[in-house]
Amino acid sequence: MGKQYDIVVVGAGNAGLSAALHCACEGKKVLLIEQHNLPGGCATSFRRGRFEFEPSLHELCDIGSAEDPAEIRQMMMDYGVDVEWREVPDCFRIISKYSDGTPMDVSMPFGCEAFIDKMEYYVPGSREKMEEYFELLNEIMAGTAYISASNGHADSKVLKEKYPNLLRTGAYPVSKVWKAIGLPQKCRDILSTYWGYLGVDMDRMAFIHYCNMSMKYIARSAYIPAHTSHEISTAMVERLRELGGDIWFNCRAEEFLFDGDRLCGVRTTNGDVECDYALANINPDIIYAKMMPKELIPEREKKLSAARGHNYSARMYTIYVGLNRSAEELGIKDYCIFMADTADSVKEYKNILGGFDSNNFSIFLCQNIVNPDASPDGTSVGFFTSMGNSEEWGVLGPEDYVAYKNRYAKKFIKCLKDRTGIDIEPYIEEICVASPWTFARYLGTPEGAVYGYETAGWDAMMARMMMLSSDYPIKGLRPIGAAGPRGDGYSSAYVCGRLMARLALKDLKDEGR
Amino acid sequence: MAAEVKIGLIGALDMLKFKNMAKVREKAIQAAPALEITADYEINNKAKALHPDYQELVVDKVIDHEGAGAKTFIMRSKDGGPVAYFRAGQYLSLKLKIGESAVSRPYSISSSPKDALNGVVSVTVRSNPDGFAAGYMLDEFKEGDEVLSSGPQGNFYYEELRDPKNIMALAGGSGITPFLSMAQAIAEGTEDFDLTIIFGSRTRDQILFRKELDWITLKCNKVHVVHVLSDEEAEGFEHGFITADIIKKYAKEPYSVFVCGPEAMYKFLNGELDKLGLPKKNIRCEMLGVTKKIADAEGFPAEAKGKEFDLKVRQGTREYDLKACAEEPILVAIERAGIVAPSRCRSGECGWCRSKVLSGTYFAPAENENRRWADIKWDYIHPCATFPASDMVIEIPAEYTPK
Repeated sequence: MGKQYDIVVVGAGNAGLSAALHCACEGKKVLLIEQHNLPGGCATSFRRGRFEFEPSLHELCDIGSAEDPAEIRQMMMDYGVDVEWREVPDCFRIISKYSDGTPMDVSMPFGCEAFIDKMEYYVPGSREKMEEYFELLNEIMAGTAYISASNGHADSKVLKEKYPNLLRTGAYPVSKVWKAIGLPQKCRDILSTYWGYLGVDMDRMAFIHYCNMSMKYIARSAYIPAHTSHEISTAMVERLRELGGDIWFNCRAEEFLFDGDRLCGVRTTNGDVECDYALANINPDIIYAKMMPKELIPEREKKLSAARGHNYSARMYTIYVGLNRSAEELGIKDYCIFMADTADSVKEYKNILGGFDSNNFSIFLCQNIVNPDASPDGTSVGFFTSMGNSEEWGVLGPEDYVAYKNRYAKKFIKCLKDRTGIDIEPYIEEICVASPWTFARYLGTPEGAVYGYETAGWDAMMARMMMLSSDYPIKGLRPIGAAGPRGDGYSSAYVCGRLMARLALKDLKDEGR
Repeated sequence: MAAEVKIGLIGALDMLKFKNMAKVREKAIQAAPALEITADYEINNKAKALHPDYQELVVDKVIDHEGAGAKTFIMRSKDGGPVAYFRAGQYLSLKLKIGESAVSRPYSISSSPKDALNGVVSVTVRSNPDGFAAGYMLDEFKEGDEVLSSGPQGNFYYEELRDPKNIMALAGGSGITPFLSMAQAIAEGTEDFDLTIIFGSRTRDQILFRKELDWITLKCNKVHVVHVLSDEEAEGFEHGFITADIIKKYAKEPYSVFVCGPEAMYKFLNGELDKLGLPKKNIRCEMLGVTKKIADAEGFPAEAKGKEFDLKVRQGTREYDLKACAEEPILVAIERAGIVAPSRCRSGECGWCRSKVLSGTYFAPAENENRRWADIKWDYIHPCATFPASDMVIEIPAEYTPK
């Protein structure tokens, strides 16, 4: 066995970075290994010509202002990580159709009051219902925060007394709750916009999950790092080094090593590493199928895997563009434009999964609106995001792959022009198209899925949180990241990484290590 | 507190439902069969085939381009399986063991994408008096030899989403290779654009791939070749160097210029390309290497000239103490010590060799500066295009190699 560490964290994605930092802050000797030559997983950047591209981050919630930091800013401060945050000006613009088929072109601001005012403008007479709705959201936010802080030991009496509506709505999907409280349909259509950020439609998305996410954006606004998410990831790596941690890039974990039924090390492409605990930012199916002795896999874990099937949420498709005109010259005014055929998330998700002919869903964003220095003077930089299904990308051969990617790209670039008048095509100086293949290549996640399993139905976030102690009971090894209780998205991954690190440290303490 | 929300017919049951979420989940899990867990994914397999960690290749056949002082190495995969598909214009980084050194060299692929589907990929190497690896490749590398290669690399290819339909390809010497691949791709229908290759050679006899180019232009009306001879005047050939006038003479509007050739050609072309008045997006260059005369570069620390520094290199748990010259990229010192280190483009562009500077100062020439913002801030370098300016300690990543 090679060098010894208290904790080996496998995978320097957002959850891995967060877990490694938490352990290092608690005085543990940490080794972080990463299969790529860069940290961050999705939270990275790449260069083409004179541009540096952000590959995945739309906007990060839970940052809050410097004076009143929210959870993620506070977490970074606790870790000692300094990132230059830039505030996003508005919630979103959405160009689509309302459920009743009438055209929709809506721009929503941050801030609860401003949001309600703007909603009243688009949906006259909605104010009272919206105010009630936001009260409900506040209660649920507070209740969820209470549950999170209690580390799985929430007092049901407190919940009943202080957050009864959390309990009443907790088991329901978004659309059921909206219907029950009589929110006007047009309000629901506008409020549905963020569904794509979670990759589950409103009929199946748990209300409290969606409520927490949308409220974090609306009430506390969103931020992006000034220099792409590679800035966040590198700042985290550098802090880990300062705390005495090590990081090995281009190093892959091949196998988890056990002494009896307890983990004792990790076999890596750099050699064997002895450790007390491993936190693996890897999908649990991959850990069980390829990285540990079969006889150590409990029956229930096999059932859990089978129950989930391969029901992953979003497969991402993205187009990165570096343009040789400024955002102003191109007429780009909004940071983030959602374009869809319908605001009805159930229909729209079906359209997306239907493949090329029916998928007209994309989100276009331009970093220069938030950060004028995002690209050199006289240029602008941005990206489109859409989703896809595993079948359409799975059947392609290598010789059809580029043409298929580009067909989508042409469609979404034209869609932007048709819907907004913004014509970027003649000004494309650099362009890159990423598909589920690309995400599979860099992340190694099943089918390139970025959000883990769908957080829906019986496997919704709250139910996962309630069963933290039952899932993945391997001694000395915990999977972290997208398949975990919080699902994915930047902030969820950071929070989940810390949560899993806390549980690991508690396990070690209980074992007397 | 918000008004009471009632969703089901009986409000109290809503709360019960919440309480039961864990039970419901456990029931769903227990209802599933305890199957063997598998993790084999179509998309991941395809991505891996397109972007392998490395390819183990074996030289199937060597073609000697005698007058041109070059050889083409036709390679197959060692295990008889497919080679990675690529976009015409991309390169392979070959890992070579030359004496004690473990070096890599980027070579543009000279065969067509369709050949890759048939399990074949070729690179062409031309003799080069300053070259360390070219001599080895031409003299030593032969049929049956095995070589470790990267997957296809680089962004020097035609992109319909970005480029106009007409491409003026300016080639010098072995810089013809990516364009030969593009020409074949057009002829076989893999690519669809109009390619005019303006190819600088010394004399007619020294034109690399002359026959192949003639043949393609004969059968495909989208590929055109103009030979520019510097040391010979002949009918049907342009004479001198590749100038703005020659480019304009053959160009069809609108067009982009793609350039691949030796350093001297870029130096000359810089002034000529300015005369064309093209926007930046319409000029794309393949570098594959850094200048041999780094001490002349703007900003080079004069005090470092001629000096040799101590370089400590950490890689995983291993540590090496080396010497590094101020006028050689840090990567060269690492390779000379026989350390297997990651590197691909050797021009600072791809970032595969990205490494952390733990102490010391260095010079990163502006023309090869392709680092990310945060990497510059936190002292990450691309050792292939970075020169030591003091004693240094650096941490380099591992490289994936077969077991």
